[in-house]
Parts: sequence; structure tokens; C-alpha cells
Amino acid sequence: MIVVDSALVVATLLIAIGIYGLLNSKNVIRVLLSSEIILNAAILLIFSMSALVGKSYTPLIFSVFAIGMALTEVVVAFASVILYYRQKGSLEVD
Amino acid sequence: MLFSILALATALFIVNSKNVFYSAVSLAFLGISVAVLIADINPAAYSLYSAFHLILYVGATVVFLSISLVMFRGLEVKEVKTPWAPSLAIVAAIAFFAVLVLSTSSITPSGTPEQLNLAVVGEKLISQYWFPTFILIVALLTTMIEALSLARRD
Repeated sequence: MIVVDSALVVATLLIAIGIYGLLNSKNVIRVLLSSEIILNAAILLIFSMSALVGKSYTPLIFSVFAIGMALTEVVVAFASVILYYRQKGSLEVD
Repeated sequence: MLFSILALATALFIVNSKNVFYSAVSLAFLGISVAVLIADINPAAYSLYSAFHLILYVGATVVFLSISLVMFRGLEVKEVKTPWAPSLAIVAAIAFFAVLVLSTSSITPSGTPEQLNLAVVGEKLISQYWFPTFILIVALLTTMIEALSLARRD
């Protein structure tokens, strides 16, 4: 259980760092990367909690969907960023 | 322990680096650390997902981000100092951890986790979770078309 507990602590700290990154930057890419940190923390949390309960299939399948959707989200977000950059010439948001 | 420290260090580097290209490259190290941490929780059951995380997240998402960032000029980040951001992040972490501990205190830890069978995973994806699988396939296909149209546009 020590491994699971340390994973929970790491996930919590990663969420804190992600929130700090979201609040402390106006750069669109930095905001996207901070949300990716929170996504990684959430996936780590899913597996830690599932190990606690003793389930193996549900977290695996849910995380596969989460990672697939994260890939889609990054590409869609990046398309928006490219359009924003073409219009404004900068990656900073007001 | 080593990968926990690596994950936290790379996460801190991502939010503090002055150049977002280096931040995007560091996200690969965060992905690798998280994959190792997941495999470390239960190697028999979760190593399959760990490999998936490495291939799809580190191999596709982070590489896509890093390569796409080369298209931009001026990747240096203007520093915005929000004085209450660190304290709010700490408060959020403490509150989240308290909720986590309170919610897991009633759970009786199971000593023997389920052994993973790849055939069962495939069967569950096709029969029980067929609709999310279908949506995921369509979303990934749309992503591919979008990436192609982005690459072709002047």
C-alpha cells in the first residue's frame, strides 16, 4: 500500500502544480501544457484508487478513452492556437 | 521514488520554463514518469496501460506538440506574476488531498487485484463499451483529417 499512497501524494502535488501553471501564465501553450499535467495526475489517481479497491479492467478501459480523447483535444486545441497566432501574431492572451 | 521526483521536477520545469518548446519536450519526461509510476502500482495488471501511455501519449501527443511548436516564432513566455497563484494552488492541493483521504477512509483495501487478460479487455471494448470505442475511433479519424488540413494550409 505504500506504493499506492506515494502515487496519491504525487498525483495531488501534480494537480497543485498544474493549477499554479494555469493561474500564473497568459501564454496559450503554457495553459495547454498545465492542463496536460492535470490530466496525467488524474490518470495516475484513477489507477491508485483502483488498486485500492482491487479493480483492474475499469480503470484501464477508462484511461484508454481518456488518453485517446486527450490526443484529440491537443490537436483541436493546437488548431485553435494556430488560428489565434495567425490573427494576433502572438501566443499571449489578454 | 526516483520517478516520483522526476515527475514533480519536470512538472515544475513545465510551468516555470521561459521557453514553451522546452516545456513541451519536458512533458515527454512527465509522461514517461507517470507511465512508470502506474506500472509500479501493480505491474501484473497495469503494465499494459503503461505501454499504451508511452506509445500514445509520449509517442504521439507530446511529439505532435513539440514538432508543431517549431512553426511559431517568439516562444519565450512573458512572465505574469499572480501573487495569489501559489497560495491558491497549495490550498487546492490540501483541500483535494483531504477530500481524497476522507473518501478513501471507508474503503477496505483489497489484497488481491484482478489479473489482467488482454482478450477480456478487447472483448469488453467491443461488447460492453462499444459506443465510447466508436466515438474514440471517429474522434481519432477526425484528428487525423484535421492534422492533414492544418499541414496543407498556406
